[in-house]
Amino acid sequence: MSIITFNKTSKHFGALKVLDQVDLSIDAGEVVVLIGPSGSGKSTLLRCINGLEQITDGDLVVDGISVNSGAKQLREIRQEAGMVFQQFNLFPQLTALENVAFGPKKVRGADRQEADRVAMELLKKVGLEDKAKHFPSELSGGQQQRVAIARALAIKPKVMLFDEATSALDPELKQEVLNVMRQLAEEGMTMIVVTHEIGFAKQVGTRLIFMEHGKIAVDGDPRELIDNPPNDRLKDFLQHV
Amino acid sequence: MEIDWSVIFSFLPELAAGAKTTLYITVVGLIGGMFLGVVAGLMRAYGGRFLNAVAFVYIEVIRGTPIVVQVMFLYFALPVLADIRIDPLSAAILAIIVNAGAYIAEIVRGALLSISKGLTEAGLAMGLPYWKVLLYITGPLAFRRLIPPLGNQFIVSLKDTSLFIVIGVGELARTGQEIMASNFRAVEIWTAVAVIYLLMTGTLTLLLRIIEKRMRIL
Repeated sequence: MSIITFNKTSKHFGALKVLDQVDLSIDAGEVVVLIGPSGSGKSTLLRCINGLEQITDGDLVVDGISVNSGAKQLREIRQEAGMVFQQFNLFPQLTALENVAFGPKKVRGADRQEADRVAMELLKKVGLEDKAKHFPSELSGGQQQRVAIARALAIKPKVMLFDEATSALDPELKQEVLNVMRQLAEEGMTMIVVTHEIGFAKQVGTRLIFMEHGKIAVDGDPRELIDNPPNDRLKDFLQHV
Repeated sequence: MEIDWSVIFSFLPELAAGAKTTLYITVVGLIGGMFLGVVAGLMRAYGGRFLNAVAFVYIEVIRGTPIVVQVMFLYFALPVLADIRIDPLSAAILAIIVNAGAYIAEIVRGALLSISKGLTEAGLAMGLPYWKVLLYITGPLAFRRLIPPLGNQFIVSLKDTSLFIVIGVGELARTGQEIMASNFRAVEIWTAVAVIYLLMTGTLTLLLRIIEKRMRIL
């Protein structure tokens, strides 16, 4: 069952075509890894799914709702698609626990006790229950990103969107975040991951998409594509990351 | 004439009454100015083209003209133009509201826009409507950044009330001038007036410092 469907979807910034008539269907349970040179449109593709970027042409349907069907419908889509950002974007005035409990309280309307319970459970899941009372500024980058993942999970989304979630982290901190992402994939979460981590793509991804000039250039099994790149462009790209 | 500081004491009741009027104009004016400033600042930061233009014109007109001209306009020109007659005290308060409102609007706009766009996106990505993101995330963060420049504006507005001498409001500067006119004790009276202004602005600074310390400024 397709949970996300791009139908001749285009996105222009003025004259610049960032997404060019993309056709793509993603099923529940897939772990799709998006790679490609910078400016190829992979982040934009991700951000169109939850409407942080507005598509200019074609259609994009998420969990049965078109991103073009109105503000209220867009909020429904966003509640089904948790997003993790490159810069974490944790709310600096709230503790780790309050950050994670924020969604259940303000979006799902849970009472404080229930929200805190869910938040604590998720912090445990990402291995940060001892940091519950810490503010983001008191956490390392890797810890902040794990809190951000917990925050996105707290609204109980059907899909998780990762926008270069490890690009701002030191190599050793990357690993702790990738481990949490791997664990999520093993639990069967549908994930779309924009990344430069080819190792992660190979081990965790169920599907690899290589983007170029706003189009999907290559789409297939990660292991096969990475071991035997079907064209020179992908081969070249893989050698440089 | 010899300097005799004791004359200050005989005029303390008058000076205190003047200071009270100054405080009254400042406090009421700033409460109104805050309200007007927040509304105009939100219009500038998030309003559509029309609301933005309205706020922009208001801010530019007020920031581009002296407050003395503004209060003269309110007190002398408005009765001619629109047959609206107001007493000097109301004109003074209105002048502070309109004047401080314009400056506060720019302070509010700046504070809101200084909050990282990523935080707004994080809130929106959860499925919150824009106004809730503003209420729960951007607003509280911007408020902390508002306090230092706001304190500055409060002090400026408090001192600006002395300009209402031109429409004859019995605030502190006017009181000083009236006492002076009767006894020519320039050194003593203007020193006393200056010290009272310092006491008022000093108290304000202290209050703001306490508020700033109690909130973690991020």
